[in-house]
Amino acid sequence: MQILDKVKNFIFKAKNFVFKAKNFVSKLQENITPKTLVLCLLLCIFPLLTYGTDAIASLFSNFNIFLPIPSGDYLIYISIQVCVYILLAVGLNIVCGYTGLLDLGYVGFYLIGGYTAGLLMRHAGVSYWFVVPIAILNGALWGLIRGAPTLKLTGDYFAIVTFGFAEILFRIVKNEIWLIRDINGFVKEIPRATIFGLELNKNWQHYYHILILTAVVIFVSYRLEHSRIGRAWIAIREDEQAAASMGINISKYKSLAFAISAAMGALGGAFLAQFWGNLSAKAFEFWESILILCMVILGGKGSIKGSILGAIIIGSLSEVLRIVLQQFPPDFAGSRYLIFGIVLVLLMRFRPAGLIFKKT
Amino acid sequence: MDQFYQQLINGIVLGGIYALIAVGYTMVYGIIQLINFAHGEIFMLGAYFAFTLVNFTPIPFWVAIFVSMLFCAGVGMLMDYVAYRPLRNAPRLSALITAIGVSIGLQNLARILWGAKPQTFTDDTLPTIFQQISPMKEPKVFFSIFGVTFTDAAIQFSENVSLAYLDLTIIVLAIILMVSLNRLVSLTKIGKAMRACAQNRIAANLMGVRTNQVIAITFAIGSALGAVAGVMVGVRDNIGPTMGLHKGVAAFAAAVLGGIGNITGAMVGGLLMGLAEVFGAGYIDPMIATICHTIGLGEFYDSEKISHSYGSGYRIAISYIVMIIVILIRPTGLFGKASAHRA
Repeated sequence: MQILDKVKNFIFKAKNFVFKAKNFVSKLQENITPKTLVLCLLLCIFPLLTYGTDAIASLFSNFNIFLPIPSGDYLIYISIQVCVYILLAVGLNIVCGYTGLLDLGYVGFYLIGGYTAGLLMRHAGVSYWFVVPIAILNGALWGLIRGAPTLKLTGDYFAIVTFGFAEILFRIVKNEIWLIRDINGFVKEIPRATIFGLELNKNWQHYYHILILTAVVIFVSYRLEHSRIGRAWIAIREDEQAAASMGINISKYKSLAFAISAAMGALGGAFLAQFWGNLSAKAFEFWESILILCMVILGGKGSIKGSILGAIIIGSLSEVLRIVLQQFPPDFAGSRYLIFGIVLVLLMRFRPAGLIFKKT
Repeated sequence: MDQFYQQLINGIVLGGIYALIAVGYTMVYGIIQLINFAHGEIFMLGAYFAFTLVNFTPIPFWVAIFVSMLFCAGVGMLMDYVAYRPLRNAPRLSALITAIGVSIGLQNLARILWGAKPQTFTDDTLPTIFQQISPMKEPKVFFSIFGVTFTDAAIQFSENVSLAYLDLTIIVLAIILMVSLNRLVSLTKIGKAMRACAQNRIAANLMGVRTNQVIAITFAIGSALGAVAGVMVGVRDNIGPTMGLHKGVAAFAAAVLGGIGNITGAMVGGLLMGLAEVFGAGYIDPMIATICHTIGLGEFYDSEKISHSYGSGYRIAISYIVMIIVILIRPTGLFGKASAHRA
């Protein structure tokens, strides 16, 4: 009889599981509209589409007409950059958007991830797939290190401390030759990621790689926002004292936000280290932080959709400007940040809540 | 000991420059609680403007400083009018983000207008006493008194301790400007209005103070002092589009050290920050060397892997470290009053 009971129990559990799975699928179906499906499909077949532009360009070049359209490979390259920016913007959104603290030093975590991955892969020969978790943990650790003393700070003092922190990290990378093993933070010839001995060295491979990473980060961020943790963060943002008196452990949740945000930044850095193949301290200057901040603010602080949209707009604008400005004298090339400065001023003046704003 | 005295002199000169910039930060913060991130860019624009004037017009150097002050005062007021005034009642972070935007905008504008390469004032555009004397030439001695020798290059206190006339000018200018600013704030009617605004802007407005005007004048004064510091740094070192960011943040750190919102605090903080930077940069390398040799890492320190230039490499980071420590330990600074809003 006991066996029968066990079988019944098992069948009941199985039914329960199937019911839960069906529930999950139906919930997904509710959330996944045809629009999102089409979007996902487009993102997945994007590298194929870019062959179209190559085909058109080569077709016209047969008749000696050179269209000013970018090559397919370059389009994929830009979309990889934009994906990295989406990842970073979603990561920054956790501190800037949810807990409402202005982080001017996000590039510091991006730097830590990049150099953790770059140095381990280049000089210790560790595989990329082991390096990524190490970089994430290292980023989270530094997030906690920076977070611990700044827990009591709010507003502009927090912003200025984060700025100082990132600048100090930048100086360390530039000066500590024994650590980096080269001047000016150069790490050269970082090996690419490999899957089963196959080196990922084509742009479209990196595209799928970063697409998956970005999707994971967006998913994690989305689930966090709608969890107890996310609600605690938003409560802290709205009124710290009220949140504390409702029993929210401010230090714990703030530290959690710093660590998660830093970990996401480090993930982006680790990917970039193997994608670029070279690291230089110049890539981690203060302006990069502002660029990412600009994305989060353009889309609307505290909204994942907004961060993604902002990253797409600013990221592709930045890449396009980089190319366009190369036609001008060399001093113009560095001046694309002028536009982002103007964007920040105009946004704060006319749409302080960003393009997509949440009514709270 | 000679090195110590020379560093002391350098520190005081740098401190004077920081104090001039820090006053701009602290006055604006005192009245509208905004970290005017773009103040460093005003400092940079002041240097560039004077540079352009003396290079492309026959205007003499001293007049160029004055015109540059006026110009920067105008830019400061314009900045307040265009960017900050519409956000007077918005959340403080919005204003800070705007300030960062203005800062980046101005910096890259300067990069487009004057190029990214650092530039220097050429000798023919400077007054004779500021010109570089080649070390090969024997300096001409004017006179000497109490062991202090006045030559055409510098004032020699001893063989290795000297004070260049440019540095002397910086110190004198800083003292004159600081004292007159202090008189202005404590004795005149506009100074009274400024203090009233700093205490309570709304109440001051109700009492008939034109707050917007007072804030504009505050921006103008701070920017003019920043312009003087900019020109002096331009003559002493060089002019580049990023000079404003680093000197600006160091000066902000000085303002925080002295207690932000407090003008005397900014002066003292500036002086201390200048001394800290110069002494830090001067003594950190020998200190690290001594420590390494004492604990048995001497060979590692002497190896090629160590850069041996911590002093110059981390020079900028010193002010950031001081600032972070002050913010974390005593956010009100040396002279600041405790406030519920701050920290």
